[in-house]
Amino acid sequence: MPREAEPSLNEKQFIVQALGEKLRLDGREFDQYRPLELTFGDQYGVANVTLGKTRVLAKVSAEVTVPYVDRPLDGVFTIATELGPMASPAFEVGRPTETEVLLARLLEKTVRRSGALDTESLCLVAGQKCWSVRVDVHVLAHDGNLIDASCFAVVAALRHFRKPDTSIASGQLTVYTPAEREPVPLSWLHSPFCVTWSFFGDDGETALLDATWAEEQVRVSSCTVSLNRHGEICQIAKLGGVPVEAVALLQCTAVALTKAKEFSTFLDGKLAEDAKRRNKGGFMAELSSENDR
Amino acid sequence: MPLDTSAYSLALLRVDGRRWNELRRIHAQIRTQAAADGSSYLEIGHTKVMCVVTGPSEPGSRRGAIGSTGGGVGGGAVGGGAAQSKGAEVAVSIVIAGFSSVDRKRTARGDKRILELQSTISNALAASLHTHLFPHSAINISLHVLSQDGSLLAALINAATLACVDAGIPMTDYVAACTAGSTSTYAANDEAADPLLDLNHQEEQELPGLTVATLGGSDRVAVLVCESRVQVSRLEGMLAVGVDGCKQVREILDRVVREKGRRMVQEGTVEKGVGLNDMDVD
Amino acid sequence: MATETERLYVLPGDAIDEPLVPRHKKQPLRLGPGLRHIPPSAIVPTVAGQLVVEPRKNSMWMEYNGGRYVPAQNDLVIGQVQRSAAELYLVNLAAHTASATLPQLAFEGATKKTRPQLAQGALVYARVVLANRHMDAELECVSAATGKAEGLGPLTGGMAFDVSLGLARRLLMARSRDEGGVEVLELLGAEGLAFETAVGRNGRVWVGSDSPKTIVLVGRALRETDEGRLDVEQQRKLVKRLVREMR
Repeated sequence: MPREAEPSLNEKQFIVQALGEKLRLDGREFDQYRPLELTFGDQYGVANVTLGKTRVLAKVSAEVTVPYVDRPLDGVFTIATELGPMASPAFEVGRPTETEVLLARLLEKTVRRSGALDTESLCLVAGQKCWSVRVDVHVLAHDGNLIDASCFAVVAALRHFRKPDTSIASGQLTVYTPAEREPVPLSWLHSPFCVTWSFFGDDGETALLDATWAEEQVRVSSCTVSLNRHGEICQIAKLGGVPVEAVALLQCTAVALTKAKEFSTFLDGKLAEDAKRRNKGGFMAELSSENDR
Repeated sequence: MPLDTSAYSLALLRVDGRRWNELRRIHAQIRTQAAADGSSYLEIGHTKVMCVVTGPSEPGSRRGAIGSTGGGVGGGAVGGGAAQSKGAEVAVSIVIAGFSSVDRKRTARGDKRILELQSTISNALAASLHTHLFPHSAINISLHVLSQDGSLLAALINAATLACVDAGIPMTDYVAACTAGSTSTYAANDEAADPLLDLNHQEEQELPGLTVATLGGSDRVAVLVCESRVQVSRLEGMLAVGVDGCKQVREILDRVVREKGRRMVQEGTVEKGVGLNDMDVD
Repeated sequence: MATETERLYVLPGDAIDEPLVPRHKKQPLRLGPGLRHIPPSAIVPTVAGQLVVEPRKNSMWMEYNGGRYVPAQNDLVIGQVQRSAAELYLVNLAAHTASATLPQLAFEGATKKTRPQLAQGALVYARVVLANRHMDAELECVSAATGKAEGLGPLTGGMAFDVSLGLARRLLMARSRDEGGVEVLELLGAEGLAFETAVGRNGRVWVGSDSPKTIVLVGRALRETDEGRLDVEQQRKLVKRLVREMR
């Protein structure tokens, strides 16, 4: 019978005691992230993000469906999260835990409600046909800070994704295969990133970035700020917990902005790298009749 | 869309005729339900909510549900089950009446937005209630939304605080909440935008805003929720106005409690006992 | 290992060649963890790993870095008290292992009146006395023979780190340097750090010290040794680097 891996009293006390002496278990600075890595899959729209031992896989898929009746000009955009027992013994199949609901809501608010994806561009025929874009977020390993890692994976996957090209001639919709026409990227407006602060101590006076699972289990409160690199807040969520000084929250937001800018540059670099890799030899290589055999 | 903003810049009055730093009328009552351990009714403008608290009592069968937080240390840790926590579990349930908003909509049972509201209120109160005094027990807070006109989360938090006071659950201080916004949308990069206090539904739809809850008269923020796009530079002004608004709300809540206490002493419902001596009942 | 000549990697269900099985005149053949006897004469590995044969003791077993801890008799483990029942504590050994029982009287000098009070979440260093497939494991914190604790008992303060089962086993070997290839704890001690450890076969290492800095350092050294599968030379470098960073 798997059980929630709750830390022992010794661990709880030690983590707090060590933080009091400005020590983290893995020797990081308080505002330092674990090494962030991003790899794209062979297909478009697959992003595999590892943040320390936390690992999240996001996969984007698209299909043509009928738009919602009340929004005939908008496409459909959904984000589905999956937290199974694979990620941690604390999660069960089928029953969404509070962690999962809050994660889904945060991703929804950060990516969907902030208008990162232009849903109007997904409309094909008003009221009749539209693209339905779906992001599946799978948490493969949980070692804390799922929110930041998942958000980064979702944004990376969506920006990497290419949907099949379409055309409409005399009311007839044609969807082209990748061989016929090069797939097209989504109409992307801005890239929001989540930065989560964890607070420790009786008054929440110690603030950490990128808490590990052990640290998350002893924190007294947390605050997630989503920002893009233009300095726009997309969402702030400090959902209860021990109260924290308002001034400290403002400082956290300022630091979060620099982190979001770093994320943004990192993602741009990775996307460019991947585009280069895919475009090996360019057009001439495609025309050439030589192959590996 | 920016009807509100343009009108505001002319007369510095908002759609409902308020100035930037004015709260709407807050009307509150406690002990509205005779059968409950604690109850309250709260109106902020046209937003009307009711709250009923039962407990601390023996926990029911519904354990580990979403929106319930093991108190004490587990306050902020998501997924911290009640299994190992020492304090009482704070379980919140919210019912939004079908007739509460303009378009009559039935809310689904597992609506994530409501689950999030529940968990927020539960986490916020668990951190300021002295839950460690009631081990292995549950405090059930059920909230009913009768009418919605913006600032819903703030109204719910205030109502829950009042009902907990009425139920006599020891707590460090009032958790008072209100909303704050900013004139001009995120797109208009208007540096001279004014912060606004206490948004109604129409303003909430059009303008960026946030909900903030503070503990008592301090500047310490228990809940901060922002769901709209806004320039980071605008945050400081909004937060300052919001925290200030929370202090005003706290005074109002405090007045309601004292008033009710005074009346109860007068009516002879309760003795003016030892505990009430240090509460200056005038 | 000093005695063994070669190590064979086997997969679950592989056939083990007849000549490999040690044949001793007097002693019966002893099978260690990871091997199973299927009558009449087949011996089949049940896990993937290295097959170790010890001809002198007429025994063979598997060395593997398994993911899940299964209690076995005489294992030293670090458990976490889950709750206390009338006469015993329920102790959690690992997330996927059924909880073990620890009688409240199985401590040094414990009587009905003077038994230790362990809070929920407290750590204990204990020995597995009874482990079989169909029952919860039973633990003790006192040697039944001598009535002494012999180092077992509640662990106070300090910090518990999770390591792989393989490293925990190597750390527990009598000559961990020669047989297990881990010297990291000795090296840290040689650097002048004062700390004490308790290694649990269930993949937990408890480190106690007066200085949190030392505990963090030991924890990092263990984790990096484990994750990087470092050999003795690399461990030496790691310890040098960590100690330098800390100062």
